[in-house]
Amino acid sequence: MKTKFLLGAATAIATFLAAGSALAQSAGSIVVYGGAAQITPQVDSGDLSAPSLPGTKIDVKKATSFVGGITYYWTDNISIDLPISAPFTHDVVGAGAIQGVGKLGTVKSLPATLLAQYRFGEASSAFRPFVGAGVTYGYFYKPKATATLSAITGGTPSNPTTLSMKSRFGATLELGGAYNITKDWSASLSVTKTFIKTTGSLSTGQTIETTLDPVSIKFGVGYRF
Amino acid sequence: MKPFLTRTAAASAALMASLLVAGCGGGATADTTPKVSISSVKVFGDSLQDSGTFGFKFTIQAANNPIYVERVAANYGQTLCNFFTFTGTTFAANTAKTGCTNFAIGGGRITYTGAGASPANPLNVGVQMATYASLGSYTASDLVIVDGGGNDTADLVGAYLKAPTDSAASYAALLGTLLTPTQIGTALAGGATTTGQIGATYMTALADKFYASIKASVLDKGATHVVVMNIPDITFTPRFQMVLDSIAAAYGGGTAGAAARAQSQALFQAWMTAYNTELATKFAGNDGVIVVDFYKGFQDEIAAPAQYGLSNVKTPACPITGVGSDGLPTYTFPTCTDAALSAAPPAGATGGADWWKTYAFADSFHPTLYGHQLTQQLIGKALATKGWL
Repeated sequence: MKTKFLLGAATAIATFLAAGSALAQSAGSIVVYGGAAQITPQVDSGDLSAPSLPGTKIDVKKATSFVGGITYYWTDNISIDLPISAPFTHDVVGAGAIQGVGKLGTVKSLPATLLAQYRFGEASSAFRPFVGAGVTYGYFYKPKATATLSAITGGTPSNPTTLSMKSRFGATLELGGAYNITKDWSASLSVTKTFIKTTGSLSTGQTIETTLDPVSIKFGVGYRF
Repeated sequence: MKPFLTRTAAASAALMASLLVAGCGGGATADTTPKVSISSVKVFGDSLQDSGTFGFKFTIQAANNPIYVERVAANYGQTLCNFFTFTGTTFAANTAKTGCTNFAIGGGRITYTGAGASPANPLNVGVQMATYASLGSYTASDLVIVDGGGNDTADLVGAYLKAPTDSAASYAALLGTLLTPTQIGTALAGGATTTGQIGATYMTALADKFYASIKASVLDKGATHVVVMNIPDITFTPRFQMVLDSIAAAYGGGTAGAAARAQSQALFQAWMTAYNTELATKFAGNDGVIVVDFYKGFQDEIAAPAQYGLSNVKTPACPITGVGSDGLPTYTFPTCTDAALSAAPPAGATGGADWWKTYAFADSFHPTLYGHQLTQQLIGKALATKGWL
């Protein structure tokens, strides 16, 4: 499904690149866009607190989802971006002393970000690179544990061990480029790095401090209203 | 292209709307379906895995007191009950409850040499395995858990320590169950070092014997999911700590005593290591077998109790009820209940009525319920790593 979407989007932008350009990114413009993003956490896990196997760590795997958002052009060069994404479902797997046990569970994330962007070049430029900085609220929800998590923490099917991750704020930096396809249509590609930590908890009482610091790659097609 | 873009924009709008809904709620749940579907768990071994052959379990008695094999079975949605019952003199099939698949018997050994010893006695773990093999075969949805060797090691240590008083008669007799008279004669005539070393040779042969039993009665009968426990380091049980302490005392205590204690412990550990190494070697490369390193796992718990949530790894939780013929304290499991323990917290114990829940040992040789949980977690990790859970 996702691959198909990305493929379609890529075809679309290739077509647009041949098209003309206009003032899609000038002061007062509001651009609504839709696309896809992949979040790859750069995990630095602490150790699970006792009682546990010493050195029990976790890794959080990358996830891909749809992303949309609104960009408001304050001036020709400064914009405010509010990306809103569909939930990302990340696999949480064992690491450290439990490396190799596989999936401990999944957790959904909904990163809500507000970015201030500076766009280089003229409003009329076809291609405008940009940098951004902002704040992200990483909302983690609907964690779902596996039989493996229960097995290594003394849980049973009748009393399974569950996990949760604390939602946290983090700082986000962005680097990207936008291409104005027509007067109203544009495409953009950006890479963001978010500095965010979370605390994972088990229903058996242990906690684990984890630095997620995800790198996200986001692609979107926008329309100016 | 316009329709595509319109669709994209519409999809984005729809997605954003759905997010507002998705953002609500966040309850933690669990999908406890294991990767491999197991419909029956077969167990063979000794007291650590006995579900109630003698009418009690070799741990603290409670309404809900799963031992580790029962906890592993529970991970697959299965339950266990004892196949054998003790009649007072012998072991008969459990008629009170049929369909039971836990063949383990307290006191079980790889080589049983005690009262009523015979090649057909199910106190030989090999006989337990042969008993099931004579009743049926295995399928891919059977999980087999086998332990053994702990009691054999205890027998060997006991016989070895008796050597000064019985001219090594017991030691030689036990060694003779697996080694040749020439091997034994040469070792015993060679002095203290070779007398100790022959124990390791015996333990290696013991591992070979156990491997052959498991191969013939389990693997060759079609089992494809087999967990074999190696021998935990029994020198860290309270019972063998007392034995080592008495060795230290016999050497006059102090530095000389400590050295003798350390040397004896190292010897017994070398025996178990000889067995464990051979066992691992024998099963190496066999995709249907996991050898769980109970030896190391148990040592880790003793070395870092707090890390494993243990408050006491030295004192048995059950009260001493007598003294055995070997001069060591004895305990009575049927009366060592959760209620009795909760009602009588010992001085200095923490946790109030739950004090015993963080102790490692029930009696001087067997784990508490929490000790069983830790062993299950050790097995659980091995099963998950193997992709069986």
